[in-house]
Amino acid sequence: MTNPSVLSSAFRVFEFSFGQMLWSRRSVFLGLLVGAPMAIAFAVRMVAVTRGLPVINGAGLSGATLFGILIWLLFVRFIVPVLGVFYGTSLIADEVDDKTITYLFTRPVPRSAVLLGKYFSYLACVVLLVLPSVVVVYFLIVPIGSSIGESFPSLVADLGMLAVGLAAYGALFAFVGAQLKRPLIAGLVFAFGWESTVLLIPGYLKRLSVAYYLQALVPHVMPADSSAISALLQVFQELPTVATSLICLTAITVGALWLAGRAVETREYVLEQ
Amino acid sequence: MTAKTRYFVIASLLVMFVGLGTGLVAYYVGFPATAFFNHSGPDELKYLPRNASLVGSVEVREIMASDLRQRLRQAMGPEQDTGRRQFQELTGINFETDIERVVGGFDAGGPAGNNGLVIARGVFDNVKIEALMREHGAQVQDYKGKRLVIADHFGDIDKFADPNVNPEPRPTDSSFALAFMEPGLVGFGSTALVQHAIDLHTSGGESAATNEELVAHVRALEGGNAWVVGRMDVLRSKTKLPEVVANQLPPVTWFGFRGRVDGGLQALVTAEAKDDDSANMLRDVVRGFLALAKLQTSSKPEFQRFVQSLQLGGTGKTVSLSLDVPAQVFDALGAALPKSPAFPNQPPQ
Repeated sequence: MTNPSVLSSAFRVFEFSFGQMLWSRRSVFLGLLVGAPMAIAFAVRMVAVTRGLPVINGAGLSGATLFGILIWLLFVRFIVPVLGVFYGTSLIADEVDDKTITYLFTRPVPRSAVLLGKYFSYLACVVLLVLPSVVVVYFLIVPIGSSIGESFPSLVADLGMLAVGLAAYGALFAFVGAQLKRPLIAGLVFAFGWESTVLLIPGYLKRLSVAYYLQALVPHVMPADSSAISALLQVFQELPTVATSLICLTAITVGALWLAGRAVETREYVLEQ
Repeated sequence: MTAKTRYFVIASLLVMFVGLGTGLVAYYVGFPATAFFNHSGPDELKYLPRNASLVGSVEVREIMASDLRQRLRQAMGPEQDTGRRQFQELTGINFETDIERVVGGFDAGGPAGNNGLVIARGVFDNVKIEALMREHGAQVQDYKGKRLVIADHFGDIDKFADPNVNPEPRPTDSSFALAFMEPGLVGFGSTALVQHAIDLHTSGGESAATNEELVAHVRALEGGNAWVVGRMDVLRSKTKLPEVVANQLPPVTWFGFRGRVDGGLQALVTAEAKDDDSANMLRDVVRGFLALAKLQTSSKPEFQRFVQSLQLGGTGKTVSLSLDVPAQVFDALGAALPKSPAFPNQPPQ
């Protein structure tokens, strides 16, 4: 009997873990997370119908601008890292906590295929929830003072960027989850401590973050103002090209997955009695 | 995969495909601006020509009743009522109470000096207005069942008063007309545009309300009680500006203004540049002027708050400048201005 390949084994793992992941208790949290922007968009739409949109930083808000702000602040800076941390770190850690990892590792499949299959489940799960949520937000917000046709290319770019971001964060935190004993804390510190800080520091340190490459793919520009902080940030603002960002994000995803696979293959998981 | 999971995947993909399909159709074919959003400016837009290069609206009653207006009225004293009374005597319209809203359009492609149209909604005494205009030499015609009061000149009462004094020929393309379109709705402006408004009123057709680009700009300025939207490039091409001046103007395609008058004044001026670089240049210029203004007013606290409320903003091709002046600033400005000698006994406001 020949051993099944990593990919076919990963597909088997994907098949059973996708439904398991989708209907887990964690999905309630995921539902709330992607439901919040839709609720906000609906509220904004109601306000716009009755009172018009407000002026922020001197810029008259249009639907397209507001959509860009929501994508940047809610999705790119919050939802995508949060999903990456909570799901990515739990791919292996949950099996360890539940003491069920032994059953997976005793199957005649490579250990890395278990991680890969679970990673693909995570990706399918979050992509199928987050991207439709973005589409709904888009159709609620953008028609307010903007043209759907004109801003459609930015929607496509946003969807692509979010999918790439979910893949990169998921892979990175899958590695953290496979390598560390307390991955959630390390993941949260990285996502909301390290990433937010290094983006503000001039120099090359920001290149050691995912957000740096991801923000180059965001087609929206935040409304500018004439404050000193804004001027300072513009001076230090340095963005990689789209091609560089895509290459780096792909490298992060593939590299993190490879390292996570290696960690799962070589690490001895000791189950607490 | 369980049936529940399968249904979830199908529903999720359906939302994606329907959304992206709709967006794709909109991208290639274009949707009417009102397909998803019906709040697209005042109804009177449908009487303005589609190719109007300047469109504006003023919520007259709202502004007249505002606190700021009442303060100004008290500050300026009874002399400002003279003009309003003269207007009322001439037209039978009390500007303070009778007019609810005025929407105007300007077609730069029309004959010079006679290409504007104003649509006013309010309470009008049709008989009195018509009689007053006839007294001043206007003639009444019937156009598609509507009474059209046509005058050859507007603004010079003497010319109206005695046609024999001014026996010069009256070209029809410079005549002004007033039409009672429906109860409470009056159209006034160039005869050709008023007739066009009646055409649109009776049989519909292409109007400013069906101009997608214009409507999108109007919607972007919602929230005020006065706004103006215009095509700078069209106005510039039709207006014979001196070359020196024309070369100095930034490459702006659309411009807009929104004002809200209540206790104070909030205003927003927007300009859509030709491209991002032009917008950045324009921002730099405005930023420079703002810095200069702040420098100039550093020793004048009564103006400082006014200048500090100016905020530069905008994204991409759009440049905006907003202003938020609370009522207290007007009080301070009023106190700083020299008192009028005409009303020495007036109490300070």
